[in-house]
Amino acid sequence: MTKTFAQKALERASGETGLVPGQIVDAYPDLYMSHTASWRCIRTLERMGVDTLYDVDRIAMVMDHISPANSAKTAGDHRLCREFAERMGVSKFYDVNAGIAHVVLMENGHIRPGQLIIGTDSHSTIYGALGAFGTGVGFSEITAAWVTGKLWLRVPESIKIVIEGPLPPGTHPKDIMLRLIGDLTADGATYCSVEFHGSYVESLSVSERMTLCNLAMEMGAKNAFVPPDDVTRRYLADAGVEPDGYEELLPDAGAEYRQVVDLDGRALAPQIAVPHTVDNVVPVDEVAGTRLNQVFIGSCANAKYDDLVIAAEVLAGNKVAPGVRLIVTPASSTVMSKAASDGVLSTLIEAGATITNPGCGACAGNGGAMADGEVTLSTANRNFQGRMGSYQSQIYLSSPATAAASAIRGSITNPQDVLR
Amino acid sequence: MATEHRVGGTCITFGDDVNTDVIIPGRYLVSIDPAELAEHAFEPLGPEVQRRLRASSVVVAGRNFGCGSAREQASTCLIGAGITAVVAASFSRVFFRNAINTGLVAVESPEAVTAVQDGGEVWVDYAAGVVEVGDERFRFAPYPEALRTILEAGGLIAYLTEQASKGASSKASSEASSKASSKASSTEETVR
Amino acid sequence: MNLVEKILARAGGRASVEPGDIVVADVDRLIMHDLSGYLTAKVFEDEVKLPIRHPERVVMVFDHHFAPATERQAAVLKSNREWARRHGIHLFDCGSGNIHNVAVRRGLIRPGMIVVGSDSHTPVHGVLGALAVALGNDSHAGTVLPYGKAWFKVPHTVRIELDGVVAPGTSPRDVALWLVGQMGEGSMIYAALEFAGPYVKALPFWDRWLFPLATVDLGAKCGYVEPDEVTEAFAAGLPGAPYDRMERSDGGEAATVRRYDVGGLGPQVACPPTVGNVKPVEAVAGIPVQWAELGGHGGGRLEDIRLAAAVLRDRKVHPDVRFNIVPASREVFAEAERSGLVLPLHEAGATWFPPSTGSNQAANMGAMAAGEAMISTHARNFPGRNGSSEAQMYLASAASVAASAVTGHITDPREITADLDRPGSR
Repeated sequence: MTKTFAQKALERASGETGLVPGQIVDAYPDLYMSHTASWRCIRTLERMGVDTLYDVDRIAMVMDHISPANSAKTAGDHRLCREFAERMGVSKFYDVNAGIAHVVLMENGHIRPGQLIIGTDSHSTIYGALGAFGTGVGFSEITAAWVTGKLWLRVPESIKIVIEGPLPPGTHPKDIMLRLIGDLTADGATYCSVEFHGSYVESLSVSERMTLCNLAMEMGAKNAFVPPDDVTRRYLADAGVEPDGYEELLPDAGAEYRQVVDLDGRALAPQIAVPHTVDNVVPVDEVAGTRLNQVFIGSCANAKYDDLVIAAEVLAGNKVAPGVRLIVTPASSTVMSKAASDGVLSTLIEAGATITNPGCGACAGNGGAMADGEVTLSTANRNFQGRMGSYQSQIYLSSPATAAASAIRGSITNPQDVLR
Repeated sequence: MATEHRVGGTCITFGDDVNTDVIIPGRYLVSIDPAELAEHAFEPLGPEVQRRLRASSVVVAGRNFGCGSAREQASTCLIGAGITAVVAASFSRVFFRNAINTGLVAVESPEAVTAVQDGGEVWVDYAAGVVEVGDERFRFAPYPEALRTILEAGGLIAYLTEQASKGASSKASSEASSKASSKASSTEETVR
Repeated sequence: MNLVEKILARAGGRASVEPGDIVVADVDRLIMHDLSGYLTAKVFEDEVKLPIRHPERVVMVFDHHFAPATERQAAVLKSNREWARRHGIHLFDCGSGNIHNVAVRRGLIRPGMIVVGSDSHTPVHGVLGALAVALGNDSHAGTVLPYGKAWFKVPHTVRIELDGVVAPGTSPRDVALWLVGQMGEGSMIYAALEFAGPYVKALPFWDRWLFPLATVDLGAKCGYVEPDEVTEAFAAGLPGAPYDRMERSDGGEAATVRRYDVGGLGPQVACPPTVGNVKPVEAVAGIPVQWAELGGHGGGRLEDIRLAAAVLRDRKVHPDVRFNIVPASREVFAEAERSGLVLPLHEAGATWFPPSTGSNQAANMGAMAAGEAMISTHARNFPGRNGSSEAQMYLASAASVAASAVTGHITDPREITADLDRPGSR
């Protein structure tokens, strides 16, 4: 029997064999990630009256949403997490300013190929960038996993996406993903495992693969996957992971897919998601000229080091247009360090960007709120009504290149027009 | 009327792709109290929708209900508003999990959704696997045993607490907590 | 006449004035921040309903928010922006920096000017030899905006002379805190304070800043440092047209002179619940802190950041502490980055905030939970100002703040390093 990645990963995590899509199994995750929502897990645990944990080494907590705290209440929530981590010996505890959980855990070698990772965040699909099975759950399930070590999972069907490249100048992984979400729609991959293959995917860095896997969630995917290769292995080595510390799982040739999507990126134009859904995607040119009040370069989708470099290349020697606020929130402390050491940060500051500390920033509602009638272009992954303040405000989603070009002009701009 | 496996009543209908930011805006996630959350459920759609929600027992929606965040409060706020079941053409997977795990009946039935009138009566018998809309009956695949047990306990945490008080899981969890190594091989030993 | 009297006489079109006189004077600059500006604009639009007489003299700086967290805050800023653009006043949006630093850095404050503002620390601009006074929102809306004028009662002047050589590791911030403790909060009601004496005159511009800043704590109307070559050199480097004249005292004597010996003075801390509750750092050393912050009116200058970098060289921020660094302006942040200060402080565990007032009043972020404590360079330590009313705020020098960030409790910086007096000079 040939198997997809999802089948292999869930067989490994459940100890069962011969799994078929639709089957429900008890699986034992290798890691349970909870972000600032960890306080809810701790309160739930207190309510259960349980103090024995299954395996405290599998708990990872990252204070990334609302970080630093913006009220006495959230400050108290953070403190609860800190004290819990200290008391229980949670070694994978990352405090304010460490960055966005997903990126922090990958950079620090806590995510490995073949593993099953659950997280209190829908974008946990991102772990597929390292060949792991990552999926989002609610805080009750994380709490339950702390206690029992397991959760039920339905074995998903798989969708194979084959992307051929290279992409034209000025276009990036975000553009290809927006196009894909536009084509497949917001529920095009619901319950499914999405595998990314093809020459374009192979050419990408792990950071760029994160953008693919992160955004797969916006098609409803349960998890996403890029086959591990030398790029993956080098990234892991840099993160301090020993080569014998993981087992790569690859789908079998001839594995069964519900759908195979072939995408040719070679003639792709920059894409943009217009309000209020992520699958409402058009070429940037169609909405070029739309006036902006704010541009946000941040989030687990597009605020990694290479994203900041892309933005800096466009912004270098330019100024943010009067009347536009440009907010840049590096995805992690490591990203901030790199940007501060090679002039990227300087370029952004000189152009007029407001740099906020590493974390989720405006994407999770800590800053960047809009008033009625305002418009933001964001590199994040959601543009739902009211997500950034007023229910009468609008969010567009794009690549960092489009965001930077638009910040200079003050209106939505195809980056190819600026780079030319 | 409601019985052990049958819930329902007046319904309120929504379209496709209702996302979690519309169901419960992120700014209210500082709370996990169902009643407090219920005050802000569907706030972006205005007070009239909110009033109708609180007067309803069933939410009926199109495709991809609950897409977006993993926030469990998207389900809790509906429970707080007095909703006992959600019937949708399809769910986002995280919402579906959260519904079961918080004790909210969530049923996929595109046919039933088509037949429903906004404000009409909808009943769900999840043991029999039937959605009742007026005189019409729509079948759906009943929940697997594992999920039904969680749902009937009132959610995952309630279920675990119940198990713990029965003493059923105390042995397993204390064995497990004896520092299982994070290697996959030992995971398999723990499983069986 | 002394400086204040000369400025008021000129502005009122009189040959001379004396303490107690009422002068109606043209206002050269009105500065408002995002919170006070909103209230002023509201009263002006709702009740005054006139054009702004001199929009080019009016400045608004968004400094309490660097990126608003809520829709309500966003609506306040939007309303401010629209109002500012409609009237053509100077507007500095989120991320520009602290109101007073932005006003100075952008060349909007000049020696001899009459400056008013609704921020209570507006008198800080006396550091440039301006007459700078905090007025209420209604005065701005009712007289300054529509007529370009305000009335002033000529204050009596108290000259404060500081002399002596402080102990190593002690900064002008410590001296300013100590002075408020010595003189007493509210002890100088309605006075103009001239900060003088060999200690003050030997300080560079940005260190002098800390003395007029303390004016409000003493209850005085305004404070200043008599302009000299330091003032002149600094003002010459500011953007914009050169200033026309620099007022100086012409020998007018202060009504009162107070002399203080700062010889051997060590680091000081203003303890909760008021700015006047000042103690030597040794008296409070060991009190645990969960927060440390360089920022606010009394910190976030390049000098402060250099000091922090010196303290944190080869050290890390204590794991129980969040150490926020808030550059006073976009220019300071850019200079800090160009000088290679951003990376080492970040890697030592500090959190860089955008240029703003930082966690002041927790308007944007940086709130404390009940039972937590912060040591900072802020100007105020009233309970409840930064989140919970059960949280505590200690005010100190940049060196003490950085040292406490390293140890997790209030710490005499001299115990950490001897490299405090000329940081970055090596």
